Amino acid sequence: MIRREQVAARLELNAELASAVLTSFIRDAVETSRTDGVVIGLSGGVDSSLAAALAVRALGPERVHGFLLPYRTSSPESVADAHAVAGHLGVPHREIDISPMVDAYFETAEPDADPGRRGNKMARERMTILFDQAKKLGCLVLGTSNKTEILLGYSTVFGDNASSLNPLGDLYKCQVWQLSRHLGLPGQVIDKKPSADLWPGQTDEGDLGFSYATADEVLHLLFDLGLLPHEVVARGYDEAAVERIVRLEKQFRFKRRLMLIARLSGSAVNLDQEIPRD
Amino acid sequence: MAEAPSILRIGLAQIDCALGDVAANAERHLAWIERAREEKVDLLVFPELSLTGYRLLHLTSRVALPADSPVLARLAEAAGPMAVVLGFVEEDRRGILHNSAALLQHGSPVWVHRKLYLPTYGIFQEERFLGAGKRLALAPLPSGNAGLLVCEDLWYPDLARRLATAGARLIVVISAGPGRVGSGQLPASQENWELLTRSTALVNTCWVAYCNRVGWEEGSFYPGGSHIVRPGGELTERAPLLEEHLLVTEIDLRDADRLRWSLPLLADIRDDIEGPDDPA
Repeated sequence: MIRREQVAARLELNAELASAVLTSFIRDAVETSRTDGVVIGLSGGVDSSLAAALAVRALGPERVHGFLLPYRTSSPESVADAHAVAGHLGVPHREIDISPMVDAYFETAEPDADPGRRGNKMARERMTILFDQAKKLGCLVLGTSNKTEILLGYSTVFGDNASSLNPLGDLYKCQVWQLSRHLGLPGQVIDKKPSADLWPGQTDEGDLGFSYATADEVLHLLFDLGLLPHEVVARGYDEAAVERIVRLEKQFRFKRRLMLIARLSGSAVNLDQEIPRD
Repeated sequence: MAEAPSILRIGLAQIDCALGDVAANAERHLAWIERAREEKVDLLVFPELSLTGYRLLHLTSRVALPADSPVLARLAEAAGPMAVVLGFVEEDRRGILHNSAALLQHGSPVWVHRKLYLPTYGIFQEERFLGAGKRLALAPLPSGNAGLLVCEDLWYPDLARRLATAGARLIVVISAGPGRVGSGQLPASQENWELLTRSTALVNTCWVAYCNRVGWEEGSFYPGGSHIVRPGGELTERAPLLEEHLLVTEIDLRDADRLRWSLPLLADIRDDIEGPDDPA
């Protein structure tokens, strides 16, 4: 039986090997698509910093194009951290203020929108800019969603979860931190509280109602190992947190499989005809 | 058997494959055959489905070839006296598709092994698109009979045992084994494979040559890590991880005979042991 105190160790990676594999993933995707490199949105958080660092290792800094895309309420600390990461990695980078684009919509059409809707719009505004820049530069958009976020649905559909390739999607948050330390990312990026920074004072763990440490371990037991919720609780995890994790995982499954096509023909795309993309 | 040449120069061509593109892969095979010829290889081994790529899904039928296809004949001709093992999707005379290993020798395709166990779990979907082989036989290599298995076949130890008891002193395994990373020095998937190849070489007192591919398909990677294991289970050489490589090794098939004289496991196999009783 796997005891609770053993679970964290099960998530530890051979960081050098994992980095080498993810580096080869990025290099292979860029080579087979015959593109020039990647564009990435740099938030100053640990996920985008790690994805950028892996891309630099795969492609060299000059083929990794960082974009800082703050809104006027974004924390100045996040922007400063994103600049620090871009400087640390030596990648070309550019800051584009998304406030005029986002505000134009809400001011003219939806002045009463709540913060959640405004946050989603910001995430999608960033997505459109990244894909436009990718087109301009002949690059792919590098995704930064980790496995914890993906399983909990903690993302904006067609916003921060949209990308051409995602090196982090099979890494739990604790593994993102582990690889970030291994690759020597700036300490302030690794040590700060994770935040989507969609409104002042927001933190991921505040939104979710449990810590990443709990989420990663519970998801590992539920999703990777197939334990039932009561078997997870029996190992000493908080029952309310487990219930909430189970509910989020189920509620947001649709975000993981975005094309829902009504099948009529018997040769429907992706259902009857699974054609590999590579 | 003792009079056949017992030294065999094996080349394990740990290549990447273009998914669904037989023409491109055939060109790659030609280039590696040329390299192997320069290295004076007697037996060149490519990975599972090396001519087509692995994760074909609904492309499977579009890349299938009969065993007498001109594509294989051309590669055999290029190989000349070198024996070559490669993987391809075979369409049999009834139109059933197989995950097959072909042995090319003396300028023509001479022998085919159809994968016996088709994994259909987790990320594997082979039984949806392929028919399982039904026959286990010895591959007629120039240096004497050898066993040839495809990937999952090795996980059913009775197959390697039957090949060894029938006279195989070498078992060649071609694979498209996807990688997994854990906390260990090697990929977790590689640790499993080496446990398996080494135990196969130990209990069957035979050489094992394992050729795995590299590259990415649909977000899943193949780590390579092709290797050679001596009779008795010592891993003597391993190709690097994550990169294309030609691992050339000379093996002496007589080493299997020598070990069998001192460790007569195969000779001591009993066929008169009863039970356990069928609980039904």
